[in-house]
Amino acid sequence: MAKKEFSFNDAVIEIEDILKNIESGQLDVDKLSVEVKRASELIKLCQKKLRSTEEEINSIFKDLV
Amino acid sequence: MPEKLSLTELQLIIRDSLYIALPDMYWVIAEISEIRENYAGHCYLELIEKHPDDKNVRARAKAIIWSSRYRFLKSFFENTTGESLKEGLKILVKIKVEYHELYGLSLVVSDIDPAFTIGEMAIKRQQIIKQLEQEGVFSMNRELEFPAVPQRIAVISSSNAAGYTDFINQLTLNSYGYVFYTALIETAMQGTETENGVISALDKIAENFHLFDIVVIIRGGGSQTDLSWFDNYKIAYYVTQFPLPVVTGIGHDKDMSVTDMVANKSLKTPTAVADFLVDCVADAENHLIEMGTEIAGISAKILEKNRYIIDTFSIKLLPLARIMLSNFKDKLSGEIIGIMNFGKEYTFRAGLILASQESKLISEVKSYYSVKESGLQRNIQYLNSFTFNALSGSSIKLSGLMNALNILNPENVLHRGYSITSLNGRILKKSDQVNTDDIIDTQFIDGSVSSRVLAKEK
Repeated sequence: MAKKEFSFNDAVIEIEDILKNIESGQLDVDKLSVEVKRASELIKLCQKKLRSTEEEINSIFKDLV
Repeated sequence: MPEKLSLTELQLIIRDSLYIALPDMYWVIAEISEIRENYAGHCYLELIEKHPDDKNVRARAKAIIWSSRYRFLKSFFENTTGESLKEGLKILVKIKVEYHELYGLSLVVSDIDPAFTIGEMAIKRQQIIKQLEQEGVFSMNRELEFPAVPQRIAVISSSNAAGYTDFINQLTLNSYGYVFYTALIETAMQGTETENGVISALDKIAENFHLFDIVVIIRGGGSQTDLSWFDNYKIAYYVTQFPLPVVTGIGHDKDMSVTDMVANKSLKTPTAVADFLVDCVADAENHLIEMGTEIAGISAKILEKNRYIIDTFSIKLLPLARIMLSNFKDKLSGEIIGIMNFGKEYTFRAGLILASQESKLISEVKSYYSVKESGLQRNIQYLNSFTFNALSGSSIKLSGLMNALNILNPENVLHRGYSITSLNGRILKKSDQVNTDDIIDTQFIDGSVSSRVLAKEK
């Protein structure tokens, strides 16, 4: 699996950037919807990461102990 | 033969002698090297004194705290110091030296001074702190950035400790439904094994530190808390050098161990650690939600602003458009009326022009014709009369000419006796036209003669 691990911190940084971008008021309305969509996607992914169990981690931890 | 004593007799002599020699109570400083409680609740201790330099034991004695006294002293000591009476602890106790014929010498403890132990512990702790500070490592773990989402947790504890179960329950049954991953590395959390146990656990975690966000060191609370096991230089040093933030919950209400002091976060109980971690994640999620709300709010404002701009445009535009439209309409209808009028006028005028032109043309053509006709007539008459006049004049002239011509005819001249001389067909009018020997012809009315010119005279 070459899937890049989703990083909560990276996502937060990206959302913060989007927020700054939008706050600056220099974003045109067409790009706004793209950015807002991206932010809501990232927030959803983060919330998913907080709540859904990754069995992979559990099994690694079991092997470790 | 000297007097023979039974062993009992000897023991009684010793007992009485000691009793007489040491009648008072003494405050004695000693370190506990062994301590145990028997089934009846009596506490048996081994007290030692170590040489301050080489740490070799240079004095040793058995001590006992009778159960009636021990119950009181134990809770008094623990409540005051936060420590239980245990191996390695330095104590100041009030003792009475007693000697029992069966059990030998023992020091019976009747009182204990917790303030001494607190002082001793404080001194020991201060020494460790000072050393860590001198090495420049004291705040190293505290300076590590605490992860926003501490979900992967290495736990150092003992599985049978009440504190561990509390921690796991508090963590996994959190009201937000957050997921936490925990790996327990078991070790003794009190007693002499604590130091090596905790250090080897830390070593094990360090080998796989990339799998974890944080390390948690926890153990059950309650009265059985021995903080001084974590007033330990080695454990504290390992914590300062650890690559992950360490959170402690080693169960102490009143004071902090050195390990607590050097840890990234220190909380009183395992439950408090669990709550703290859940709160961290909740904070992280709140931060997300706040940003999301802010993004939504600002975007809504931007959209609202744009909508407002459009609305104001349309508000401004609508009446403007209406005015423009009505102006245009007016203009248009004006023009239509104009065009219609013009058209009417034009067609009317065109009609007029046509009619007048027609009649004018007709009359002009008529008059033209009549003029032409009368001109023609005149010309014809003129021509007629002219021709007539001309012809009549001409005939008069002609008859006169005919008369003149008749008179001029040479034949008539010849008739009248004149003749005509010619040379080679040309009539001769002058004498120089002829040379001598030329043959000249002379015509008469009734014939001609040819003559040679003999001589010329002027």
